[in-house]
Amino acid sequence: MTEILRVEQVTKTYGKRGEKQYQALKGINFTVNSGEYVAIMGASGSGKTTLLNILSTLDKPTSGHVFINHEDNSTLNANQLADFRSKQIGFIFQDFNLLENLTNRENIALPLSLRGISTKRIDPLIDRIAGRLGIEQILAKYPAEVSGGQKQRVAAARALVHEPAILLADEPTGALDSKSARELLDTMEDLNQNDGITTLMVTHDPFAASFASRILFIKDGKIGKQMLKNELSRQEFYHLLIDHLDTDE
Amino acid sequence: MIWKLSLTGIKNRFKDYTVLFSGLVVANMIFYMFLTIAINPAFIKNDIQTSTSYVQFTFGFGIVLLVIISMIYLVYANSFLLSMRKHDYGMYMMLGAKSSKIGVLIFLETLITGILATSAGIILGFGLTTVVAKLLIDKLGLTVTHFSPILPNAVLWTLIFFTLMFLFGALKNARKLVRTPVISLLKDEQKPAEMSHKTGLRSVEAIAGLVLLAIGYYTLSLPAAMILIIIPVALVTIVAGSYFTFNSFFSALIGFLLKRKDFSYRGIRVFTLGQLKFRIHDYTKILTIISLLFALALGAITVGLNFSTLKDQATASTYYDTTIVSSSSAVQEAKKQLHIKHEQTYHYKENKKYLYFKRAEFSTNPVKNNEFYVKNDTPAYKTVNLKIADLAKQGTTANNALNSMLPAKHHKPIRLVSQQKWAGLKGDKQFVTLLTVKNFQQDYPILLKIEKQQLEESKNYANVYQSSKAGAYQLVMNFSSGFEFMGFFLGFAFLTMLASTLMFKILTGAASDKIRYQMLFEMGTRMSVLRNSIKNEIGILFILPGILGVIDVLFGLQMFRVFLPAPYHNLWIPFTIFIILYVLYYLITVKLYEKIVLKSDTVLNKGE
Repeated sequence: MTEILRVEQVTKTYGKRGEKQYQALKGINFTVNSGEYVAIMGASGSGKTTLLNILSTLDKPTSGHVFINHEDNSTLNANQLADFRSKQIGFIFQDFNLLENLTNRENIALPLSLRGISTKRIDPLIDRIAGRLGIEQILAKYPAEVSGGQKQRVAAARALVHEPAILLADEPTGALDSKSARELLDTMEDLNQNDGITTLMVTHDPFAASFASRILFIKDGKIGKQMLKNELSRQEFYHLLIDHLDTDE
Repeated sequence: MIWKLSLTGIKNRFKDYTVLFSGLVVANMIFYMFLTIAINPAFIKNDIQTSTSYVQFTFGFGIVLLVIISMIYLVYANSFLLSMRKHDYGMYMMLGAKSSKIGVLIFLETLITGILATSAGIILGFGLTTVVAKLLIDKLGLTVTHFSPILPNAVLWTLIFFTLMFLFGALKNARKLVRTPVISLLKDEQKPAEMSHKTGLRSVEAIAGLVLLAIGYYTLSLPAAMILIIIPVALVTIVAGSYFTFNSFFSALIGFLLKRKDFSYRGIRVFTLGQLKFRIHDYTKILTIISLLFALALGAITVGLNFSTLKDQATASTYYDTTIVSSSSAVQEAKKQLHIKHEQTYHYKENKKYLYFKRAEFSTNPVKNNEFYVKNDTPAYKTVNLKIADLAKQGTTANNALNSMLPAKHHKPIRLVSQQKWAGLKGDKQFVTLLTVKNFQQDYPILLKIEKQQLEESKNYANVYQSSKAGAYQLVMNFSSGFEFMGFFLGFAFLTMLASTLMFKILTGAASDKIRYQMLFEMGTRMSVLRNSIKNEIGILFILPGILGVIDVLFGLQMFRVFLPAPYHNLWIPFTIFIILYVLYYLITVKLYEKIVLKSDTVLNKGE
């Protein structure tokens, strides 16, 4: 299996030298292979948002390296980073982050037009991913006109339409009711298993995390344990996870 | 405690406050500057020599317009202030501050900001008025004598007007803040914009807008005698037409562009267009007002400047730059200072009945005259030689023209004689010298001095002075410079205020746009692409009312055909001034907007 993401000795320190400093990440190491579905779990303040910002190139580590598709993004300048994000990374956020001034179709079109894909190819690509996510009927609507679950599907379509190397999801079910959350997680699992989409999800919700094939626990800026699903069913993995969290407290 | 928090809030948003504060100061300065001429009776009486009631009406109208634009401006400035503070105050309320206390806080904050800005505005207004007045007077060669930068009445009225306006603004802000639920204060920025998508009604409205504009423009071209119909009809149709056009036509146009995917699916065009579509809809009222004010401002400068074409008119009707009939040393000394291009002298003898001229002098040097004729509906002049045969025939053009160049209370018949006969005639020996100089404008002060000197020496010269070029030039200049001055003042006042009104409106919405730009950045949009999108979006918001305003002016100028010879003459001057000022405002708005929306804790600001 090819390696998609490698994180090497990443630290992040806030505060200027000589002032009071706070170390949010204290040497993070892990890799994600192509086709994997990894969840990073941690409580508030554990450093998971900082880590996600660094993985998504929105923030730079104080030391260490992040390789996505073997490319070290600490060597890139701002323009290259922007291009890198538009090409390699797909985002799903907790609060959808759809542009409410654009129709759902136009929202999904953005990553493609941003990458300069020929205008003729854009609509067929949108239709294909929309069909995959079951949102063909709402493409002409504005985000404000559809439900939360549908919004997150549109966001997922936007994140995946340009076929990024990795899908980064930040608490994707955080703003959804339990039924919509379940549907979205099923879809993400389906995309991972059947379309081979490499996924990295950051969450504090054990239920959401139980859909992943591997879980990394982050605590006080360090990766502690990791859990593998292996041959377990999702339910079994969930119970194992709950047990682990109970004993860990 | 809450006061301390409030002050800290101001400190944190110091940059935004600087924008607001300087905008208010500028509004004050301009208001004060206009009042220094509008309510300065000595200036109106002496520097604008025309019927007083007409001028009072014009200035009264000017004040009303200025009050209206200042009010609109202050409403937007105040809502900008509220939008800056909403989140902070919402937070204090959530933490348990009483809404009445918060109400008092925003009330005092608005009022104190206003009073400080007014005081600063008036003091800086002294300086600005001095500089602008001097600049205008010098550049335009105006003769303005009764203008003073410090006018107590203007100070008083500026203070009263702005204090009242801020008092109302403070009350309004306080009411609005107290009545808005805390949750909307905190979350307002995340609320999606709402907009109806009914296309049927939209297209009817779009067409109606264009038709109304067409009717309005057609009305403006009607004969001036129908002025009582023209003004109300044009006013209603153009205002309504502009409104509908902004509300529907432009949105329809953007909708069309969005559907043309080979156009919209490039870069983040689809985002820029989406922003504009909602913006223009939301901005309908302000864009309408701005297009009309733009037209008024541009119109004021154009018409003001156009009065100076009367000066050209005055000089075009006379061929010779001056007429010299005196041999006094004062006149001859002054004459030496002129840059003479051509000089011709005719000698004559005057007895009780006749003026005897030498015929030969006319044959060698014919007298030239500018004859009036109409070319393509506009007045024009052509230079002709006076017919020698007609010079002595009373009532002919040539005879009249020559008489107007000779000093006399009552003109005696002219006789042309040969050199020998002339030598034998008795009578006073006199002469008349006709001059042209290389540059009339340059020599004008000396020419005027020569003519005034001759008038002093002999009352008979009054006849020549009346139709002299320098005399006519002075008369028109006195009359037109007052208008020019007012046109410039009003034009500047309107333009600066309308442009900053638009600026505040755009900046008020910037806070809610921040999240969108952040989102695009995270998706991998380059900063340069985001900046371009901002430039385009704001550019279009500036250009649309500008274009409509320019069209309004181009049609509106037709109304001035009656008393201005060529209302479209030198149109590029006011247009250039306007474009420069407008572009300046545009660039400032873009910079400030970028500062607000492209600000982030992440690498956003760490350069490219």
